[in-house]
Amino acid sequence: MLRNILILLSVLTFSNQLIAQNNQSSEADSPQYSEILPLASKSLMLDIAKVSDSKLIAVGERGHILSSEDGVSWKQKLVPTVSTLTQVFFYDELNGWAVGHDSVILKTTDGGETWQIQMYAPELERPLFDVLFTDLNNGVAVGAYGRFLRTQDGGKTWQEEFHDEMLVEDDRLYLQELKAEDEEMYLDEIRSILPHFNRVKAIGNEWFLVGELGLLAKSSDQGKQWQLLDEIYQGSFFDINVVDNDKIIVAGLRGNLFTSDDNGNSWQQVDVDSTALLNAIVIAPDNSVYVLANAGVLLTSSDKGDSFSLQTEKDGKAIIAGVWFKEQLVVATETGLKVVQGQ
Amino acid sequence: MKSLYNHFERNIFRFRFGVIGLFLLITAYLFVHATQIRLDASFEKNIPLNHEYMKTYLKHQQNFGGANNVLISVCNTEGDIFTTDFFTTLRGVHDQLFFIPGVDRIQVNSLFSPSTRFVEVVEDGFAGGPVIPADFDGSVQDLQVVKANIEKAGIVGSVVSDDYTCSMVKTSLMEIDPQTGEKLDTLKLAKQLEDEIRNVYEKDGISIHIIGFAKMVGDIADGAKGVVTFFAIAIAITAVMVYLFCRSFTLTILPIACSLIAVVWQMGVLSWLGFGLDPMSILVPFLVFAIGVSHGVQMINSVSREVANGNNPKQAAQLSFRKLLIPGGVALLSDTIGFLTLLAIDIGIIRELAIAASLGVALIIFTNLFLLPVLVSFVRFDQEEQKQIVETADHKLMARLLWKKANIVTSPKPAALIIIVAALLYFWGQYQGQKLKIGELHAGAPALHEDSRYNQDTFLITDKYAISVDYMSVVVETFQDSCIYHEVLDVVDEMQWRMENIPGVQSAVSLASIAKVVNSGYNEGNQKWKVLSRNQQSLVQSIARVPTTSGLLNRDCSAMPIILFLEDHKAETIDRVVAAVKEYRQQLGTDKIQFKLASGPVGVMAATNEAVAEAQTPMMLYVYGAVILLCLISFRSIKATIAVILPLYVVSTLAQALMTYLDIGLTVSTLPVIALGVGIGVDYGIYILSTMSQRIRAGESVPQAYLAALKERGSAVLITGLTLAIGVSTWFFSALKFQVDMGIMLTFMFLVNMLAAIILLPAISAYLWRDKLKK
Repeated sequence: MLRNILILLSVLTFSNQLIAQNNQSSEADSPQYSEILPLASKSLMLDIAKVSDSKLIAVGERGHILSSEDGVSWKQKLVPTVSTLTQVFFYDELNGWAVGHDSVILKTTDGGETWQIQMYAPELERPLFDVLFTDLNNGVAVGAYGRFLRTQDGGKTWQEEFHDEMLVEDDRLYLQELKAEDEEMYLDEIRSILPHFNRVKAIGNEWFLVGELGLLAKSSDQGKQWQLLDEIYQGSFFDINVVDNDKIIVAGLRGNLFTSDDNGNSWQQVDVDSTALLNAIVIAPDNSVYVLANAGVLLTSSDKGDSFSLQTEKDGKAIIAGVWFKEQLVVATETGLKVVQGQ
Repeated sequence: MKSLYNHFERNIFRFRFGVIGLFLLITAYLFVHATQIRLDASFEKNIPLNHEYMKTYLKHQQNFGGANNVLISVCNTEGDIFTTDFFTTLRGVHDQLFFIPGVDRIQVNSLFSPSTRFVEVVEDGFAGGPVIPADFDGSVQDLQVVKANIEKAGIVGSVVSDDYTCSMVKTSLMEIDPQTGEKLDTLKLAKQLEDEIRNVYEKDGISIHIIGFAKMVGDIADGAKGVVTFFAIAIAITAVMVYLFCRSFTLTILPIACSLIAVVWQMGVLSWLGFGLDPMSILVPFLVFAIGVSHGVQMINSVSREVANGNNPKQAAQLSFRKLLIPGGVALLSDTIGFLTLLAIDIGIIRELAIAASLGVALIIFTNLFLLPVLVSFVRFDQEEQKQIVETADHKLMARLLWKKANIVTSPKPAALIIIVAALLYFWGQYQGQKLKIGELHAGAPALHEDSRYNQDTFLITDKYAISVDYMSVVVETFQDSCIYHEVLDVVDEMQWRMENIPGVQSAVSLASIAKVVNSGYNEGNQKWKVLSRNQQSLVQSIARVPTTSGLLNRDCSAMPIILFLEDHKAETIDRVVAAVKEYRQQLGTDKIQFKLASGPVGVMAATNEAVAEAQTPMMLYVYGAVILLCLISFRSIKATIAVILPLYVVSTLAQALMTYLDIGLTVSTLPVIALGVGIGVDYGIYILSTMSQRIRAGESVPQAYLAALKERGSAVLITGLTLAIGVSTWFFSALKFQVDMGIMLTFMFLVNMLAAIILLPAISAYLWRDKLKK
């Protein structure tokens, strides 16, 4: 009897040790989770997406992901990263991706309740700024220094693409020479020669890409080949959107706003009474256009972007992204999420 | 022993001219010194310099500025700040402040300081410059430029008020002038702020609001000067009461004069030793006077009785001296030692108070136990006076009305009832006393009335600006050049973020949070780049834009503060924030990255609160220890000691309950009051019991002994208690909230200690000497 108990005990201790070891190793491998704290919804929030008519998901610094059913009260999710998240994209009500600094890519399959990490590469020192999926398998992620990633398996694996068609002719020739002469230097150069890709957007059958140094490009084969559009401005562009399916609007640094009625072939500058950095363009169902900007600036147009009226939020904080949700404009700002009343 | 004592007594009265001459000389000498005593206040005196937090504070004071700041808000009462006149005034205030001695010129900060700069992002990088351009001439165009620059600089809420009607000039003060090596004269500086800034620049349309420790103490000192009036009123009341008590003009003047001599001596010795009088301890001379009167009245009471017994004044004085030297000496010595124990508390102002109070009380031994009887021995009463004294000496009316009836308290049932009531009061007091909060419980300066200019200025500044004056810095101590490492700043950032989530923390700033903003700035102001770059070159670039004058890093970047702006400086807010820092530094700190508490005004308060909390129990132990020891020595009876100490302790406990009730927090200025209360209270008990214990020892019953004690000393005790209570109650009308509070506290202590000595003490005695109850 005593012997049996002893054996039992030793087995128990042993299995405990096993469990302990398992815990240890899984802890070391597991990513750091973002801290759940009361003021997460008041911290720097960088993007916001409508998952369904009754649900919003917002992302921001320190790996914060929050959800809301009314745009007013927000609930923080447990997320396996502390890296700052810059953009979130939902393909449908369940499937979505979030990208950010440290090359982090997260995926959800339950409408943003839980998230799995698909990529994390801090050593690259290259943040991602946007992500776009055309179906559950095919998508791209873009970021700083012309970073361009493509997946064909829903994000399980990602392939780097180098789009030298986004370079001017001289740079392209220079790179070709370098590749022949000094492979190592060539590899180093392609890491930083391209401008930042800030936003990739599907408009109709075409994809548009905007970014640093006035980058404006479009593609008719889902980003495999890009065609640079004529330069209209040397500063950066941060967002591109379309109103009423026919007028494209791009927004950039220091109040630079352009519209195009011919699919990006020619552009007209719109005069806005602000030199703030324009972060995002939100289109309401009634075709009202809202341009969200730094310094609390909010531009509103009721004529599809031909003219804008200016309103400045009292706190003067940058408004970075927004969605039209339940008849109101819900925005992500540098001091958190809020609802703004239009004029 | 006895013969030595007799010998001593005979010699004193034999050489009484010599004694008087000696006292006269000393008094004259010390009077000269006493007139030179000045009010003296310093910031460091109020803080526990050896506390862990204060070591951090002192270590980094030079880099990050101290906690002793002056904030001047210049406001346009007729609109926004963008007028030529306003900017002329603001520049005037800035320049004037710069040249006031004691001001740390590097730390003078306003719109006009060159370090107030703006940065804006343009297509080809940054553009920036001073908020007020070099060629600023106050024209309308220039003002428009300045307005735009203010917005770009992001200083609304800190340098400019939220509503654009005020602008701030602030600085730190230096405790020691590095050029002259002289100590900062806080009160002089406060006067200069008033005379050279407020009086010069405040005019129609412009208001000047000044806050900071120096200004607060200055205002307190101004208010404290009113204490002289209250002192005079108290002396007058005391004189009237004492006259009513003894019906002799001479016997009224003498104890008051001797008590005043004790005060003169005390001030003289303090000034001679190089001490000043802190505005917050200005009540100490008054206490010395009060305790002096209490002993003086006992002396003349005894003299009256001896005169009534047919002795001449000299014999009466000699007999009284013999009778009172021991109980009076014991009482005063226990006060002295009790106050001296306050020296154990490592806060300058409490130590000064300990020295001042114990010195004053010790000197009363000389003035009221020696000088007073010797002076009395010279008195010649005329017939009328003699008659009056004899008639009132026994206080027959009082004896008939009160003492006969009072004696009931020694009967078993009433005594039991009194003890039960006292016990209930004690437990209630204990319960309430536990709720006594440490630290300051109100916004602004609790020592001043809420409607005082200083507190109004504080409320205005708190209201108009986003940043508060209540901030605490957690200093991150790391290794040299640490801030070029992402890992280091990342931990700092994490700590800051967690602290921002603690209720009571309004906002926070550190090198990490600024580096993120700068990084975003380097990336066209794009908020998506508001991160700590993992790329070392980029990180260095961000850090390089933050000057050391920002107070966010030291020269070699081995220390950087996380500045936490708090909603207020209430004790519970401070406790919560400190506890959170302690918890998080366990998780985030390493050998190389240490989070040190604390600097900034609230850091200092946190340290002070902790020091006060720690000092509370030891202080009570020391004071009671001293009193118990002296009672044991002089009564040579444990029972007698218990009879004196128990009522005293009940009153101390009730005093703490009163503080809770009055919403007075336990601070460096209120902590000693409890100890002082013990000193005041013990006198009554010792006088009553010294007669009682003698008689009990001689075989009398407790009621007999008590009645005798009442007849002999009761009237004096009652009169002293009432007199002093009425005297301090005049403080209710003081210009200082602190003095009002102290007035209430001391009135309570004088009265309740007196009542406890004549009601609770005999009731306890009745049970302690149960066998002597019926005889």
